[in-house]
Amino acid sequence: MVSPSYYLTLSAILFGLGVIGFLFKRNIITLFMSIELMLNAVNLAFVTFSRQWGELSGQVYVFFVIIVAAAEAAVGLAIILLLARNRQTLNVERINLLKL
Amino acid sequence: MPTLFPNPEELALILPQIWLAAFGLAILLLDFLLGPRQKWVNAFGALLGVAASGVALWRLRGVHAVGVPGFGGAIVVDPFFVFFGFLFLASTALVILLSVRYLEVEEEHRGEYYALMLFATVGMMFLAAGTDLVVIFVALETMAASFYVLTGYLRRDKRSNEAALKYLLLGAFSSGLLAYGFSVLYGMAGSTRLTEIGYAFRTPSNEIFPVVALVAVAAGLFFKVAAVPFHQWAPDVYEGAPTPVTAYVSVASKAASFAVLMRLFLVVFEPMRANWELLLGGIALATMTWGNLAALTQTNVKRLLAYSSIAHVGYILLGLVAGNETGLKGMAFYLFAYAFMNTGAFAIVILLRRKGVIGDELDDMNGLIYRNPTAAVLMVIFLISLAGIPPTAGFLGKYFIFLSLIESQHYLLAVFAVLYIVPAVYYYFRIVVHMWLREATDATRPAISPAQAVALAACTLVTLGALLYAEPFVRLATYSLLGSVVR
Amino acid sequence: MQFFQDHILSVILFTPTVGAILMLFIRGDRENVHRWMGNLFGMLGFLVSLPLVIRLGENWNTFNPALTDFQFVEDVEWIPSIGARYALGVDGISLLLVLLTTLLGAIAILSSWSAITQRVKEYYILMLLLQTGMLGVFLALDFFLFYVFWEVMLVPMYFLIGVWGSDRRLYAAIKFFLYTLAGSVLMLLAILGMYFTYAQQTGVYTFDIRTLLEAVPGFSPALQQWLFWGLFFAFAIKVPMFPFHTWLPDAHTEAPTAGSVILAGVLLKMGTYGFLRFSVPMLPDAVKEYSQIMVWVSIVAIIYGALVCMMQKDMKKLIAYSSVSHLGFCTLGIFALTPHGLSGSLLQQINHGLSTGALFLIVGVLYERRHTRMIADFGGLSTPMPGFAAIYLIVSLASLGMPLLNGFIGEFTILRGVFEVNKHWAAWGVVGIVLGAAYLLWLYQRVMFGHVTHEENRHLPDLNLREYATLVPLVVLCFWIGIYPKPFFEIIDPPMHRIVNRVNPGYYLVDPVKPLPAPSAETGTTSATPGSAAVPPQEQR
Repeated sequence: MVSPSYYLTLSAILFGLGVIGFLFKRNIITLFMSIELMLNAVNLAFVTFSRQWGELSGQVYVFFVIIVAAAEAAVGLAIILLLARNRQTLNVERINLLKL
Repeated sequence: MPTLFPNPEELALILPQIWLAAFGLAILLLDFLLGPRQKWVNAFGALLGVAASGVALWRLRGVHAVGVPGFGGAIVVDPFFVFFGFLFLASTALVILLSVRYLEVEEEHRGEYYALMLFATVGMMFLAAGTDLVVIFVALETMAASFYVLTGYLRRDKRSNEAALKYLLLGAFSSGLLAYGFSVLYGMAGSTRLTEIGYAFRTPSNEIFPVVALVAVAAGLFFKVAAVPFHQWAPDVYEGAPTPVTAYVSVASKAASFAVLMRLFLVVFEPMRANWELLLGGIALATMTWGNLAALTQTNVKRLLAYSSIAHVGYILLGLVAGNETGLKGMAFYLFAYAFMNTGAFAIVILLRRKGVIGDELDDMNGLIYRNPTAAVLMVIFLISLAGIPPTAGFLGKYFIFLSLIESQHYLLAVFAVLYIVPAVYYYFRIVVHMWLREATDATRPAISPAQAVALAACTLVTLGALLYAEPFVRLATYSLLGSVVR
Repeated sequence: MQFFQDHILSVILFTPTVGAILMLFIRGDRENVHRWMGNLFGMLGFLVSLPLVIRLGENWNTFNPALTDFQFVEDVEWIPSIGARYALGVDGISLLLVLLTTLLGAIAILSSWSAITQRVKEYYILMLLLQTGMLGVFLALDFFLFYVFWEVMLVPMYFLIGVWGSDRRLYAAIKFFLYTLAGSVLMLLAILGMYFTYAQQTGVYTFDIRTLLEAVPGFSPALQQWLFWGLFFAFAIKVPMFPFHTWLPDAHTEAPTAGSVILAGVLLKMGTYGFLRFSVPMLPDAVKEYSQIMVWVSIVAIIYGALVCMMQKDMKKLIAYSSVSHLGFCTLGIFALTPHGLSGSLLQQINHGLSTGALFLIVGVLYERRHTRMIADFGGLSTPMPGFAAIYLIVSLASLGMPLLNGFIGEFTILRGVFEVNKHWAAWGVVGIVLGAAYLLWLYQRVMFGHVTHEENRHLPDLNLREYATLVPLVVLCFWIGIYPKPFFEIIDPPMHRIVNRVNPGYYLVDPVKPLPAPSAETGTTSATPGSAAVPPQEQR
């Protein structure tokens, strides 16, 4: 079977991509996708470890992460909808009423 | 043999949370039956739910010090949980009392608000009880998602929208980091139970995993408590959210996050203490510094309190750096005192809200001593307590932190910690100057509704009483540490 | 009555608080009610403190100078979990300071009758709360309690300066608050250090001052030095010692009259009280190490304060700087570490409270009439205000150290104590006295003597009955201490001898082989073997 370290490396790369995407992208939807990418990288890591240890709690965790991600997406999209309605922009840098 | 349905003894362990969830759902349904003028019934129902949960929690208080594990070790009911549970319930009750008038003025008075608060409290309680990575993660997200919605609750207010967005984005980001750290912890131990992870940590199989786990988990949790350098969301969210929600976030979410922080750092990461103690000290120092300095120039009271809140986080982290019994007791006491004094300060800001005026600029406080002397005097008491000046609870909280630093020989940190009280007094007293020494720019007299009066009275009582008659409160904090948290 | 006897210190401490709480419930616009109540409780606060020294009947115990322990002790548990107790007591050091506080408090409240016209209710409540705070500092026998009271009095003082002061009051108030607070928090660290070290050594967690007074001198010299500096900043800022004095001119000048009286009369004494009660007896090794530096700083304060006084155009600022100079004398006396120096210092603190308090009242009288404090606006006032002129003269003479008045006794005793140790220091002290005479008399001359220079001054009313009532008690005490200081010294001397015994055990050592026992407290004398190396103090007053 494929060595777990490959999966873990892939997971780390995906996670890193998600972080970079979050830090440098400007469109809110893109930011959301980056967060989803991060969470899915985590899922991959959990499944890998679960397979490695022969233990199921990791996979259970994955289910919960999926649920949580879905809930967060629902809330997030609702907020984005409100924002789009009130401000007509989805560019994060233009949403800066609250400044130092 | 695992059964499909949990047995009654185990259910009793989570009865407080069950009550809260049940009342939350009931309020969601009840809201449909209520006319626009009767929405306060929701608040009443929420308070009943908090009370019921409190009674259930009270029944759990006589637990064995080690704590009763439940659901196969996924949660534990120990004095630590009981203490924090009561803290969450108390702050939820206070905020509910403060919200009623506020929401009526905002014309956004709906049942979902109270239901969300109760759901957030459920999440918080599981955070304090959780000893399993899954439970902690789900509880954290429950609490966080409720808060995202509550922050954006004022749908027509642009600042509220923006605050919710920022909170959501950064909160989700930090949850992702936390989850990644959890995955590494799971990989090290092969189990999601904290105790087993703790064992695995003592004999790590390789060098990288512990470090990665520590960094990721710490980063995720520091986001939640708004420590430097992960604090950027706090001022914006505090300013934009409806003020009762701000109070709630600043107090309860912080306490819950610290509860998790304490469990994780003291149970799991303890063997690595030599590695992270210095770093944590540096972060605590940076947090105090940044919070205090940034607050000096603020003109918006909510933002000022947000930055001061960041400074307080620094103080609480110092208790963790010290890591001895006094330090942990200090963290518990500080969070307890902080809940009441910070809610009290925000309560006064809430008082100023009325049609067309948000009431959170410093100038809105002008001449408050003439308009509502009681409010002005109470605000002074809360501000003195936040600064850490006797005879208030805030002083006693800081006292424990300072003592713990001296006991653990972190002298330099102790000197910085005490000296930072000076700028704190300066910016808190800027508020006092506006209240007492400026002419009132508008002559309306903010009235205190009965519910707000009850909340204010409770806050004042604890703020003053926790020093003047300190023994019960100190014993309460000591009691919280009886469990398995302390080494 | 028995309750009163058993709990007299608590009664003294909380009488003002009771008054403040009662006044909370009376509406703010009933100003005269508040004035009467404030004065009633101020006066009551003073009257309940008198039984400490005046017999009230057959079985009444007054303060007994012969006893070495604290007296009128009350000690109950407060926060057992951390070892803090509610413990009150007085000894020779604090007794006179307590009486000074209650007296000046009553007088200051009385002097505000017509001076405060806005927010009268809050004013009197804050003055009463301030009284409690100050009394608590002097009465506390538990470090935690002491610290609580020390900090508690900062807030009312801030409001008193900030709300009822003059033009630059906001700046002065926050400066006072922040400056004093910075020192106080360092003191907190020192207290915690003592608390924790004692607990490490004995396993007992206690803040009790009596216990720590015995235990702390045994700490290592290195630790004592750290503790000394921790405590130093709080007390040095309070006194204030040069160069930490910069808050004083602003605070004194901008505060309302009663505030200045309390500031100068009582608050400053807390710094010197701190040195006498804590730094010197508890940290003898450190004190001996640093006493030279302290002496020089005191001398600088004396001379610098006096010189700056000469240049002032504002009466209140002049008197404020004179406080720096006078308290330089007091700290000089303390750090000379001789019995005369210490006793003289404590007596001089009382004297300063009386005379400078009176001086601020004098300025207050003028300010109420003319709403200016500038010297140039006055001149020749002895013509319209002869009674005022007489009292002002007496008080000035008392402040500068004229024999027959209290200042002379204090200054002479201090110099006597300093001269034993180093003649040069005493010489500088004398220079300070001369400068003191210069600025005080020159001020008096400019304000009171000669022709009336401004027409507005020609018809100024002389002192009214209330103003006489505030000033005469102080004048009487000035004469009493000046002519017959023996009862005061009887109270002050014994604890000072004990302090010298700790810090400077060689002082009483006549025979190097066989050390002399501590001097008997009644007479305060030691028997001297002729031809001895150290000259023991002969109490001949």
